[in-house]
Amino acid sequence: MTNMTAIIPAGEETAEHIEREVSEIISVYSRLFPTQALNFVFYEGKDPVWSAPSVVEGPFTFHPDHINAQFLGQVERPGAHPGAPTVTIRVSIPRKPLPTELKQTEAPWVPVRKLRAVHRLAPLLYEKIRYQAEMLRKQRSPKRHPRFSLPRGDGSALFPSLRQSNSDKRPAILIGMHWLEVGGAEKLGFDTIQWALEAGLRVFVAAGVPSIQRLADKLPDCPDVTFLRLDRYLPHHLWPRYVENLILAENIQLIHIHHCRPLYESLPQVRANLPWVKVIDSTHIVEYADGGFPRISGVWSNFINIHHVISKELVDYYRDNFHVIGKVRLGRMLDRTDHQAGLPELNMQPGKKHLQVAFVGRLYYQKRPVIVAEAFRALSIWAKRNDVELAGKIVGEGPFLDTVRGLLRRYGLADRVELLPANSPVPDILRQSDILLLPSNNEGLALVCYEAVEQGCIPISTDVGSQAEIVPPDLLVPLAPHACVKGIVGAVDRLWRDADFLSRQREALVSSWSAIMSEPTAREILMPVYQEAAAGVLE
Amino acid sequence: MIVTFNRSAKLVKVLDALDAQTRRPEVILVVDNASTDDTQEVIEARARTDLSIRYLRLPKNVGGAGGFHEGIKAAYALGAHYFWVSDDDAYPEPDAIERLIHAINAFQARNEWRPSFACSRVEWIDGTMCEMNTPRPVWDWPRFLQPDAGWALVDSASFVSILIPRWAVGEHGLPIADYFIWFDDAEYTRRLSRSYPGIYCPESRVIHDTPDNRGVNFGLVDEKSLWKFKYGARNETSWRRREAGIMGVLAYTYGVHRQMKGGNVPWRLRRQIFRAIGGGMMFAPKIVKV
Repeated sequence: MTNMTAIIPAGEETAEHIEREVSEIISVYSRLFPTQALNFVFYEGKDPVWSAPSVVEGPFTFHPDHINAQFLGQVERPGAHPGAPTVTIRVSIPRKPLPTELKQTEAPWVPVRKLRAVHRLAPLLYEKIRYQAEMLRKQRSPKRHPRFSLPRGDGSALFPSLRQSNSDKRPAILIGMHWLEVGGAEKLGFDTIQWALEAGLRVFVAAGVPSIQRLADKLPDCPDVTFLRLDRYLPHHLWPRYVENLILAENIQLIHIHHCRPLYESLPQVRANLPWVKVIDSTHIVEYADGGFPRISGVWSNFINIHHVISKELVDYYRDNFHVIGKVRLGRMLDRTDHQAGLPELNMQPGKKHLQVAFVGRLYYQKRPVIVAEAFRALSIWAKRNDVELAGKIVGEGPFLDTVRGLLRRYGLADRVELLPANSPVPDILRQSDILLLPSNNEGLALVCYEAVEQGCIPISTDVGSQAEIVPPDLLVPLAPHACVKGIVGAVDRLWRDADFLSRQREALVSSWSAIMSEPTAREILMPVYQEAAAGVLE
Repeated sequence: MIVTFNRSAKLVKVLDALDAQTRRPEVILVVDNASTDDTQEVIEARARTDLSIRYLRLPKNVGGAGGFHEGIKAAYALGAHYFWVSDDDAYPEPDAIERLIHAINAFQARNEWRPSFACSRVEWIDGTMCEMNTPRPVWDWPRFLQPDAGWALVDSASFVSILIPRWAVGEHGLPIADYFIWFDDAEYTRRLSRSYPGIYCPESRVIHDTPDNRGVNFGLVDEKSLWKFKYGARNETSWRRREAGIMGVLAYTYGVHRQMKGGNVPWRLRRQIFRAIGGGMMFAPKIVKV
């Protein structure tokens, strides 16, 4: 039999770890099955994030593999009465993540096996193939992933409607996150937790995707915030019943979904049994392959009261695909207090002899780090021709880090382009930079664009998502890899040579930034709903 | 479900008329055939405060037929039990929809037959009957007609204030989008009538705000209306070919000829209509099911 201590790193007692996990598991299933007699069968897990639970309602028969080498033991929780039905929960206790896993769970990116040689010889060609495959998927997407809202009936007045019973508990909100890792949607998720607390709600947080949840310790340290580890212990098909019980027990008035798939799937249960609960969701970005969460949200639209979106592209997406207008609310991911009254002059000047170019973003495919490296290569050639000293900073971490490092070394840029960790001071870096590169494959509306404009740094972005709302047309480059790199160099060249062009871009940036700043923020859209829920006066 | 194209002012009057209904639809789906006027702005502004309004903007103008096809498809996906379908220039009287719903249900309860649609009496702006929206009765149209329930059986009606139950759409599919314009409603209602005819409900009234009150008669073909008549000729020929074969087409062609002759339509225009009939012989659009 394997030994638990062998796979758990030193620093925590095995017994303590097991005890804590067992207690959380029992707490989750006690909520789900409040009256049943629960029989927990525990196993030693090999996975640091997922407990692979299996639930059997009714009599349970043990088979040899139920008491296998990983079997740890059983715990019983008696039912509410002697004849209570039995539920058996077989669950593995996740091991503690290793230090390397805590840093980065995803393995370094490698090209697909058949195209490895292509990537080695011509990385940009590899990107082109990938781009074309993606565009093909986008083309096929509408057929493969239908865009219509699931119908929902309101029922007949002949049948009694369900009414909310009075609760002595303070109103609460359930906030469903994709996961608690770094990301734009997660940033908004954390903001909404803070706003809900400010509104006076108790907050329950759950994540849909099992993960180490590295940002869990960033949750407000407050008795009104509870992080439910459903991602770790509860299969998705049991979420609806759990959510129903949680809502009833904790007087939850509001559900806010941030890219949390099992919470979307819980909505029929909520609408059927708890119709008074109000549901909001926030969406950020339309994915090429399947529409991503905006499509999922649109499919569930008849079960949702308010769709909060961060860009006009998404307002149009809901209208064009799901014919919904009235319940879609645009709320920008901005905090007015963080933003200055006016914008500084641009850091870049025509004919400048020293140019600093920055990239800020997670090193995932979505941000196309390989294109970033190729753009730096093309810019360095341009700089050499024009006798400009080029320096660069790439801020971010992720599976593409090794690839980017390798490409910079291969192109002789390692001494001119600095690789910086994700927690580097981004505002300072942008203040020192002339140009920000955003050759993303897809974006909602990149927050770093706002930051760049506020620091006098000029963003050059691919024309994707809602980037056109902040980046002037002359600074938008095509998505296709070669055209993207060429477009970046062309834009930098024109900004560097043409003072009039540069000044026009500044005017355009000021104008689009001001227009966005004049629109409602996410907080302004959501806070009144939270406050109504806290006051118990939701319509 | 309202199909619209570049008539925002009239569309607003239709929406106002719907707001005044004694039985207002739960969802109002506006299908915009890629209008180039301010229709989109007008509807978006209204839909921001009225959550029942859904807006389906088509990427290009696919004609009334395409609009009704897409609209009924979307409304079916939304789960509607009944589809009230109309034009963007027809204003229902406040009780028009309630009376249609009442008629279709009462007819079914009394007679044990379920009508495949119920249509309103369509009046022109001066209160006379709107010629182009005249339903076609079946041979035994007065079979269930009673003093207190004056519902005649009809097998063809226009898409101006017509109520279609969900089951009929499920059984017979969608209007033919490829018709683009004209005869799409006649073909569709005749198709629905294969299950059982529809009913004409004179107590449900709508005002059709058309520029003039003209019927569908090939004797009225002129330069301005030629394009519409060509679609009508092609579409009806296609339908006749499908339903009655070559003899049906010949009879239809003779009828068209008689009408044009009676109306003294110039031969230049007549030739184009006959050419459209020839095109209709080869035109066999598919019926799309839901």
